[in-house]
Formats: sequence, structure tokens, C-alpha cells
Amino acid sequence: MRGLIAKMWRTGRVAEPEPALPARARLGGVSQGSLQLRHVDAGSCNGCEIELSGCFSPVYDAERYGTRLVASPRHADGLVVTGVVTRNMASALRDTWAAVAEPKVVVALGDCACDGGVFTDAYGVIGPASSVVPVAVEVRGCPPSPTEIIAGLRTLSGR
Amino acid sequence: MTVTAARPSAPPSPQPIVRASPGAAVSGAATVLVGAAGVALGVAAITRPLAALRVGWLLPLAGVSFEVTGTAGLFMVVTGAVAVAAGCYSVGYFRHAKTAMATLSVLPLFVLTMIGVLAASSVTTLLVMWELMALVSLVAVLSDHHHAAVRDAGRWYAGMTQFGFLAILIGLVVLVHSGGSESLSVLAARAGAAPSSTRDAVFVLTFIGFGAKAGLVPLHVWLPRAHPAAPSPVSAVMSAAMVAVGIYGVVRVDLQILGPGPRWWAMVVLAAGALSALYGVLQASVATDLKRLLAYSTTENMGVVAMGLGAGMLLADYGHPVVADVAVTAALLQVVAHAAFKSLAFLAAGSVVAATGQRDLDHLGGLAKAMPVTTICFAVGALGASGLPLGAGFVSEWLLLQSLIHSQPGSGTLLAVVMPIAVGVVALTTGVGVAAMVKAFGVGFLARPRSPGAALASESAPSMLVGMTMAAAACAVLALAPAVVAPALRSVLSATPQAVGVASPHFGVLLRLPGIAGSLSPLLLAAAAVVATLAVAGATAVAGRSRRAQCRAVALWTCGGGPLSERMEYTATSFAEPLQRVFDGVLRPDVDVEVTHVGASRYLVEGVRYRSVIVDAVEVRLYRPLLGAFETWAGWVRRAHSGSVHLYVAYGAVALAVVLAVAR
Repeated sequence: MRGLIAKMWRTGRVAEPEPALPARARLGGVSQGSLQLRHVDAGSCNGCEIELSGCFSPVYDAERYGTRLVASPRHADGLVVTGVVTRNMASALRDTWAAVAEPKVVVALGDCACDGGVFTDAYGVIGPASSVVPVAVEVRGCPPSPTEIIAGLRTLSGR
Repeated sequence: MTVTAARPSAPPSPQPIVRASPGAAVSGAATVLVGAAGVALGVAAITRPLAALRVGWLLPLAGVSFEVTGTAGLFMVVTGAVAVAAGCYSVGYFRHAKTAMATLSVLPLFVLTMIGVLAASSVTTLLVMWELMALVSLVAVLSDHHHAAVRDAGRWYAGMTQFGFLAILIGLVVLVHSGGSESLSVLAARAGAAPSSTRDAVFVLTFIGFGAKAGLVPLHVWLPRAHPAAPSPVSAVMSAAMVAVGIYGVVRVDLQILGPGPRWWAMVVLAAGALSALYGVLQASVATDLKRLLAYSTTENMGVVAMGLGAGMLLADYGHPVVADVAVTAALLQVVAHAAFKSLAFLAAGSVVAATGQRDLDHLGGLAKAMPVTTICFAVGALGASGLPLGAGFVSEWLLLQSLIHSQPGSGTLLAVVMPIAVGVVALTTGVGVAAMVKAFGVGFLARPRSPGAALASESAPSMLVGMTMAAAACAVLALAPAVVAPALRSVLSATPQAVGVASPHFGVLLRLPGIAGSLSPLLLAAAAVVATLAVAGATAVAGRSRRAQCRAVALWTCGGGPLSERMEYTATSFAEPLQRVFDGVLRPDVDVEVTHVGASRYLVEGVRYRSVIVDAVEVRLYRPLLGAFETWAGWVRRAHSGSVHLYVAYGAVALAVVLAVAR
């Protein structure tokens, strides 16, 4: 315990400096300043997952902008969807969307979720996230960098 | 218990029921009558001294003599009241076609012998009644003797109860020898003059004997076996009344007749109580068998009682008679409260067993809709057992904590060390006890049924519901107005030399403690809780009215795993798993996880089998080596019994020669 505290003291703050606040997306009803998100992997290659977990690391520290990943759609203000929507995950995505309380938003993360990406006409694919749930914010890239993801999330949280 | 990924196999179906059983009705009525007589006798003894009764011809040499003291009166009221509820309940419970006449006839006899123990005023009468009580209760435990587990429980019970009887027998005979009389009241006057080694020996022997009956660790091993094995009305009487008779023995002999004793007596009682409370509650929190859980909870509660008695003895020894009074009052009130809530819990558990054929919590659930009265009754009992406000056990636990934290500073190193530890033990016991009772109620009665037997359950017979309702009413009275037992407690305190009874706690609407800055009003607390609940419910209803238009109905969230099923529920095992993990070193569970894979692939799982067996660590570590050693020793002795007549004649000749040589 003492070693841990000493290490924290020595390491200090490693978070990147705060970039400028992007313009706020005009979305009716979603709370300002705080955004709780449930992540759904609808058929991703896990590239976006790695970048998303990087967002909540001490270096990028997305929680200082009021965004958090939560464990249940019941706790969430919206969903983060990664990957193209596969047939096996379509109903799960619909159920998860139905489980989120109003008002709610969807963030499509990565090229696959935004328009299908390299999997557009592949076997077993239904389509981009917007073909199943209404997408409010798109974050493009294959995969998008944590900086881009955080910029997208900050348009919603407004911080 | 064992959980498999596949559906549990079909449970044993409930026993066939016949409409009317005259035997059960007669037995139940007799039990109610005996119990009512016990209550009347107890109340009479508390209000004024009763004349002694002596029947010289009934027992050769000694005769039988009875005299109900105020102390016995309190325990007699408890025993009688439990018997009334259990007797009423048994009419419905024993209407199964299979119930043997022996079971039906011993229930009233069992109550009668307990009243006999309490009324006994001479050592011979006490011992005879004690042994009769042990034998009659053994017959009652062995009701379902065609099951091997029941016979095993009967053997354990017989062994432990006879061991306890032996200890009491030797202890009391030594006491009678030194006192020169076998009347308990004469012995009480003369015991102080006995040599201290005699008093110490008598204390140790009688505390072991009575402690074994009260289920104190490490002599508790018969409880978790006998209670599940016995029919539920018998379990209720045993757990609520018979263990209380054990406590009566400790109070009457060790506190009133022998006491006040040296300081280490108090420490022994306190330590045994603390050990029992902790061990009992830990085992209860991980038990999956409903009646086994309740049996361990009995050990826990008797441990709390013993802690109160021990703390009272210790405080009196340090010259704090007022605080000692509070501690002894807490112990006695806990006995009364325990009788109410534990008899209720056992009766409700019996109602569940009769309706579903299941005792395993992992196969119960969903009974709240099918058995509403039983569910409410068990909830009342569980609330009492968890020692929370509005429950029957709250006031006594509060009194005990008050007495433990109010030992004056500067009284001595021992007191300064022991009392905070005791407070910690009581706090931990109450906390884990709440978890155990939440598990028993939540897993056993709420959510969806986990087995076909639980799904097909229906409410029990009216007589069973009446019996449970009586016990529930007693719980409510004790929770809201504990003042009703104040005269009985005062009569016990005035007869106890340690607690002089000069300023016993003042029971009223406001419960005041003498010399301690503490007061409590259970009634006002209940009123405040009801008002607060109504206020919150009303405010929610008003606030919700405006929002109702925007409501939408969606399916329950099941983590995307399809429709909600009973396999997604908490089980008793999974609920207790964190506790089991924390107390791994004490409980020593035998956990085994077995994963089977589909075909050749290691990545696809076909089934997961989880097996967790928690045995009583005391039984394994203490009793198995003892029994093993005893068996080895008996094997040696057996070699002398070769069956040869010549050898036996030689033994006789040698023995005769020895006698002649010694008696020359």
C-alpha cells in the first residue's frame, strides 16, 4: 500500500492536456455535462475496443469530460456501438437499445459502425449501426484514435 | 449442495394427505392443554410464590418434589407458549397418513417433561425429568427413522444428550454430597460454604451439561442434525423451548445456586457464548438447508444469551451490579424473543417442507404467491432473528450492547479488553445474521420457483396457519411492547445473586436503563417507521401520477440472454459465496468446479458442475479424532471378550481375589 502511494506520488499526472471543446451536438433532452454509455460490440474486429479502452486510461482520461462507460443499459444515457451489425448481434443490439431509458443517443464508433467499412457486403452482415438503431453521432476512422473518439463524445457531454 | 447446468432432477413429491386424522387432533389438543397449563403455572409462579408439592411414593428412596420458582416461571411461560403454538400447528402437520402413533403420543409428553424439569425442586427430580425429556425428545427426533440420515441424527443426538446428562449427574451429585441436602433451595443457601475446588468442578460439569442442551459450541453438533431430521412441530419445540431449558439450567444452577463465583467462570461463559454466536452465525450464513440454517441460528442466539449471562457475571464481579442487571435482562429477554421468532421460523419452514417436499433453499423460491400467510409469518420470524428494529430480537440485542459499552472506564484491564471484543462479536454476529436471514427469506420465498415441487406448492392447512399466527403475534408483542415480560424478568433478577435487581431496566413506552444514558422506545420507533414508509409511498404516488402518461412497457433486461428464467436467480449458494470466500479459513468448504467440453473443442463448454460441501469444522476436527480414538480403545477392550467361558470364569476369580485382598 505504501509502495503504491509512493509510486502514485512519483508518477504524478500523466493525462494529456485538454484539447479545445468541439461544438456541442444539438440533441434534445440528453443531459448536459454527464454522459453514461453502454458499449455494444455488434461485430467488431476489436480494433475499436482497444482504442475505446485507451480513452478511459489515465493518459486520455475521458472521464474528466463527464463521459463514463457503465455495466448495464439500465444505467446508461446511450449506447456506443462498434463494428458492423452482424445477424447474430442484431436482436441483442435492439434489445439493449430498448433497455435504455429515454432520452437516449447512439454513438457509432469506427468506419464499420458508421457505414459498414470493409465488411459492407460481407456474408452474415445486416449493415451499419444506423440500419438497426438511430445513430446520433458518428466517429469515423479504422480504428479512430482516442483523441477522435473523445472529441466525438465531448460533442454530446458538452464539457 | 450440487448445482449442474442441466435441470435439477425431480424432487421427492409431498406426502399423501388424508383429510382428517383423529390421532393428530388428540395429540395436538393434548399438547395445547399441557402448554396452556404450563403458561398458567408460570404466570402464577411469577406473580406470587407457589406452595411446594411433594410426592413421596412416586420414586423410591428420594420421592418427587416440585416447586415452581420465579426463575422457572419465566421459562415455563416460554415453554408453554411454544407448546400451544406447536400443538395447534401439529394438528394440520401430522394429518399425513404415514405419521406414526409414537410421534403423535410423544409431543405432549415432551412438553410435560420439560415443564417437569422446570418445576423440579430437588436434584433427583431434576435429573429424572431431565433424562425423561432427553428420551422422549429422542423418540420424537426419530419419527422418520426409515431414513438413514434421521437415524444418524438420532445417534448423534442420543450421544450428545447422554454425555450432557452424565456431566450434570456427576456435577449435581458432587454438589449434593458437599451440601448435605438434595433440595435446590437448601443447596443454594449452603453452596457458598463449599470448598472452592468443589464449586469449580460442579460449575464446569454442569455448564458442560446444560451447555450441550443449549447448543453451545463445541457441544452443538447434534443441533444441525436433529433439527432437520425431526418433524417441524418437534423442531420448533426443541429449538425454542428445549434449548431454553438448557439456559434455565445454567441460570438456576451456575448463577443462582453456585454463584457468585470466581472471575474465570464469567470468562468461560462469555467465551463459550462468543464462540457459539460467531460460529453459529457463520455456519447459518452458508447453510443451504432451511432447517439446518435455523438450527445454526439457534446456536448463534444461545451464544448471545450466554454472552449476556457471562457479561452479567463479569460486571457483577467488578462491582457494577446495575450494568450487570442490564446484561442479565438482555440474556433473559433474548431467550423469550428467541422462543417466539425461532418457533415461528421452524413452523413456517415446516409448512414449506410439507407443501413442497423440499428443504434445500436452492430448490425453493416463488412461494410468496402460493403461500402468502406462511411467507409473511416466516418474514416476521426472520426479522426477529436478524435483530433489526421492529423485530422481536432487537430490544434484547440493544440491551446487551448497552450493557457491554457501559462498563465504567478504569475498572480493570480485563474488563477494558474483554468488553470491546464482546461488542465486536455481537456486532459481527448481528451483521452476518442479517445476511443469513435475508438469504433464507429472499431465496426461499421470493422470485420464481426453482423446482417443480416449489412451483406446485399450495398454502398449508388452517390449523397450521393458526399456530404460526399465534407465534407471529407473540413476535409482534415482543417487538413493540417488551414491557409485558418485565415482571417475569424482575422475578428472575431478584433471585440471582450477581444481579441484585436493585434497579432493573424500566420497561414502559420508553425503555429506560438505570445508571446508563440510554433509552429506547420500540413502539415509537415502529410508529416512526410506519409513518415514514407511508410518507414515502404517498409522495411517490403523487409524483408518479404526473409521469404515468410517459411510461412505456419494455421487457426485463436479462443481459441479452433471452427471456428471464429461474436459472438466472440468486441461489442460496451464490448468495452466500462472498461470505464463504471471506470466512474460507474458518468454514473450510470443499469446492469443486468441473467443466465438460463439447466434443474435441476446448473452447465450447457443454456443462459446468459446481459442487460445494461445507461440513461442520468442529465435528471434523474435534469429534472424528475423539470417536476414532474411542473406537480403537473399544477394539482393545473387545479382545478381552473372546467368548470363552473359561476366560470369563478366570476374570471372576481374579476380581474376587482382588476384592478379598482389598477388603481384608
